[in-house]
Amino acid sequence: MRSVFLYLLVLFTLPVKAGDLKLHGFVAQGLIQAQDSNFVDDDGEASLKLTEIGINASYKINNQLRVAGQGVYLNGGNRYPEGLRVDYLFLEWQAVSNADWQLKMQLGRNKNYHWLYSSTRDVPHTRPSIILPQSLYFDAFRDVALGVDGLAIILNTQNELGDWDVNFSVGTSPISDEQTSNLLGGPASGELEHKKDYQFSVYWRPSQTQWQLGMSLLDADFGYQRGENDALFDGKETSQRIAFHMLYQGEHWEFASELLRERVILKNFIYPGFYSDSTSEGGYVQARYFLNPQFTFMTRVDIYDRDRRDRKGDNLVAMSQGLVPGYFGFMDQATLGVSWKLAKNLQLQTEYHRVKGTGRLAPYLAPDVVNNDQRYWDMWALQLMYWF
Amino acid sequence: MKSRLVVTRSILCCILLLINSKVTEVHSQSSHIQLITHPSVDATTLDKDQIRRIFTMYQTNWADSQPIVVYVLGSQNTTHQFFSREVLGLFPYQLERIWNKLVYSGLGEAPIKVKTEQEMLEKIRQQPGSIGYVMSENVSTDINIIHLAME
Repeated sequence: MRSVFLYLLVLFTLPVKAGDLKLHGFVAQGLIQAQDSNFVDDDGEASLKLTEIGINASYKINNQLRVAGQGVYLNGGNRYPEGLRVDYLFLEWQAVSNADWQLKMQLGRNKNYHWLYSSTRDVPHTRPSIILPQSLYFDAFRDVALGVDGLAIILNTQNELGDWDVNFSVGTSPISDEQTSNLLGGPASGELEHKKDYQFSVYWRPSQTQWQLGMSLLDADFGYQRGENDALFDGKETSQRIAFHMLYQGEHWEFASELLRERVILKNFIYPGFYSDSTSEGGYVQARYFLNPQFTFMTRVDIYDRDRRDRKGDNLVAMSQGLVPGYFGFMDQATLGVSWKLAKNLQLQTEYHRVKGTGRLAPYLAPDVVNNDQRYWDMWALQLMYWF
Repeated sequence: MKSRLVVTRSILCCILLLINSKVTEVHSQSSHIQLITHPSVDATTLDKDQIRRIFTMYQTNWADSQPIVVYVLGSQNTTHQFFSREVLGLFPYQLERIWNKLVYSGLGEAPIKVKTEQEMLEKIRQQPGSIGYVMSENVSTDINIIHLAME
């Protein structure tokens, strides 16, 4: 995979004709506070750890080949590892592009095109809210859900029924040590490896309507090799996800909803011989009202249950002998937000979240019961964003 | 009491007249919007679905495999708003969302934005394979006008 990136980098440095190279980017800084939780910072104080900066380029080599890449700097506190990273970088081959069909293949690090907001989740002005609904856009799982190093196939067509998008991707994501401890908890000193990841999605826009309906599937495997003085053991994790996506775009109103069911199978990990097979459920319903070109109002309810057979978290309490409170078994979130477009490429966004439960707070495997000692908690955020 | 009724009626009449006049205005605009291309483009007639696929950047090559270069006016421009709603059947914010996804996820490239209809005409005149739209009636002879096929 490294050689693919080197090859792409070489392509990037080739002499380019001005008209064929497109440059864009974004800069955003915010203020955020998640009281009584470790979502942003362990202390729950107001924080400036809400920085998102990115620059991207797209270069057409010829009619069929294109190279595209984006580098980002992100700081989200505990939400995900801070720093610079290659967001995507791939070589695209457009096999077909005519009046009815488009077929493209991307080789390299590509984005997750499978959910409504997944492909631009770090691009502030493209999001409905600063913090996305955690049922689907679980921040602790962000780096793995961003996309894969591998192959993506994108097909689009139209017929009398409407417009169709079909996406398929296969590959793996690199997992940093910080991401590992985000998922597994502090005592994990071993290596977490993304072994395989298959994703598929299909979207349909019925003709003459403002609706878009979609369905997506995910099948991913992870392996863990314990490190020195590790509290965990060698283990395997499998995630299988099915989600349904809906978007209605009217003149003044937009409604969006995504629902998911995810089966998580854990083998060993906690102790040799440990086995757990549970299915989580969740999803959100979101409405946006476009008052005028400047102001947009947003409201959303997001719910998530870690185990559909243990929605109140009673088993979690029993299995941990009372160490983990039941509210780690779910996380329900109500959100209100406003966006104010100050100028053509400048926007101020603010929002408030009321949250019940801590089921989507990192670390996932070994919950932080010290900093997340409240069943109900609040969060607010304010962010100024510029893009070009 | 009677006079109040008369006043209400006349206000209602005025509102109806206003709505009516708006409708006729839209119709007259519709007949003036011109879809234009560089003379190198062979197509002379396009249907709405195909125009939508071109402006949402799904179709990036003409039938003779010449690359399509798409020019658009800004979201706040009334010609753009009219073209977006009436020809493409999309609200301007929907188009923005589609283009943002292309640009910031690497999936594709967005159309090139121009500031005025005059600039649009100049770009279309110069750039082979280009397509755009204007409201002006006087489109010069060195630019092709595309016929809108009725479905």
